[in-house]
Amino acid sequence: MTVTFQLNGEDCRFHGDPMTPLVDILRQERFLTGTKAVCREGFCGACTVHVDDEAMPSCLKPVGLVQGCAVTTIEGLSSGNQALHPLQAAFEADDAVQCGMCFPGMVMSLSAFVRDNPHASRAEIKAAMVGNICRCTGYERIVDAVAVCLDQARKAGQLVEGINV
Amino acid sequence: MAPGVERSFTAASTLEEALAARRQGAAVLAGGTWMMRDPRRGGQLPVAVVALHRIPALSKVEINADHVVIGAAVTHAVLVRVLHGVAGFEGLVAAAQGAANPGIRSVATVGGNLCALDFAAADLAPAFLVCEATVELQTFEGPKLLGISDFLEGRHRLLTEAIVTRIHLRRDLIASAHIRLPLRKAGDYPVAIVSLAVDKDKRCRIAVGSVEPVARRWTALEQAMAAGPASALDPERAAELALEHNDFQGRDGKEAEGWYRRQVLSPLVRRGVAALLKTEGLA
Ligand SMILES: Cc1cc2nc3c(=O)[nH]c(=O)nc-3n(C[C@H](O)[C@H](O)[C@H](O)COP(=O)(O)OP(=O)(O)OC[C@H]3O[C@@H](n4cnc5c(N)ncnc54)[C@H](O)[C@@H]3O)c2cc1C
Ligand code: FES
Ligand code: FES
Repeated sequence: MTVTFQLNGEDCRFHGDPMTPLVDILRQERFLTGTKAVCREGFCGACTVHVDDEAMPSCLKPVGLVQGCAVTTIEGLSSGNQALHPLQAAFEADDAVQCGMCFPGMVMSLSAFVRDNPHASRAEIKAAMVGNICRCTGYERIVDAVAVCLDQARKAGQLVEGINV
Repeated sequence: MAPGVERSFTAASTLEEALAARRQGAAVLAGGTWMMRDPRRGGQLPVAVVALHRIPALSKVEINADHVVIGAAVTHAVLVRVLHGVAGFEGLVAAAQGAANPGIRSVATVGGNLCALDFAAADLAPAFLVCEATVELQTFEGPKLLGISDFLEGRHRLLTEAIVTRIHLRRDLIASAHIRLPLRKAGDYPVAIVSLAVDKDKRCRIAVGSVEPVARRWTALEQAMAAGPASALDPERAAELALEHNDFQGRDGKEAEGWYRRQVLSPLVRRGVAALLKTEGLA
């Protein structure tokens, strides 16, 4: 079966088994290895991507279901040559990252969250992270960085990915 | 899948198309969060699937003055958004909001939660039991309506020739609550679940999930509570009655042994009644 979708803003065509998990196509065919396949069960969040702007695990997404959708991976959020997403910048500034394995998924989950919840409390930030497991940091610095990011955006009256905070 | 066999994948745009694919042996694919893990449970992905996400009628929630209709392909996240603040459905909202994690809730559907066979810890099952939900199926012989208890009991047989299309709820509850006990604070399957509701006649309905293989109403406790005065909804008294009328056989599982699941019910009932008393309908 042929499946076509937008991948980081470009047309993408896949020909093969429509039940192939999206993460495998991203990593093995498109070499977008920022998306990690760790548990493959929806528990760790390392494979999180955006499908039509919603954060979800790509390990449980059969590619047949993304026909006609827009998929964004961590590579599509910022190429590295451009300005970082404000959340990525906050993680860097707060030195929140340790080994980095969980971070692409963490950024993809939390970037959708900050966009939709500009006034989130600390408890709400924590609740948004339950699907992203980090074995290194103990989480608190990540929560701090998200809170700082939201706070800065509010003070500056800026947009975090299109939502006026 | 055997080498050389091409998998059939139908994204149905009507129920008729979906049913035709079912007749040809296709398995229903909703969000895929349960099915995609079949290989990790030692099973195989189906050779033919029919996806429901392009059937508009199955992705809608209708809120009417006296009833609510939920399409089977509605996700947990959408259910939370749409029913948030609707009096009487606090428990259902808490069930959909507390299940899994945000990424899964954006994808996992109501139908998938109820149709995942052998999944004892489904949060929506006890929540729908206390709503006395009616499940609408489209079978090879035509549409069929079934009470949620009968559906849960008979789903292995029923689902061989059917698609769940909608869940119908009467708006006859004044308050409800959903209490779950995961081992960690969040992110894993609940060890035990207690859903509670109070209807317009001030009768208390209670259902338990994850303790036995299939969620069910706790009629012994409901009757014991009905024997007391309706105004006397008291967490401590309810917990005592729960201890006295505990007729559950806990299932042994990875997260907890059966005796433990059974044992935690009384404190969960206490928490549940306390939560009920805080709802707008009873406060
Ligand atoms: C990490 C993780 C944590 C989880 N934690 C929880 C939790 O805490 N509480 C909880 O309740 N659940 C939990 N779950 C389970 C989750 O709720 C289910 O995986 C989900 O609801 C299934 O829905 P789906 O749309 O993805 O179904 P699918 O995977 O698409 O389908 C599941 C099954 O139902 C059948 N099916 C689906 N829709 C229909 C229909 N309309 N008619 C007939 N058959 C149908 C399919 O054929 C398949 O057999 C968790 C899952 C994951 C991955
Ligand atoms: S690899 Fe997808 S959630 Fe862990
Ligand atoms: S930084 Fe190492 S797993 Fe999160």
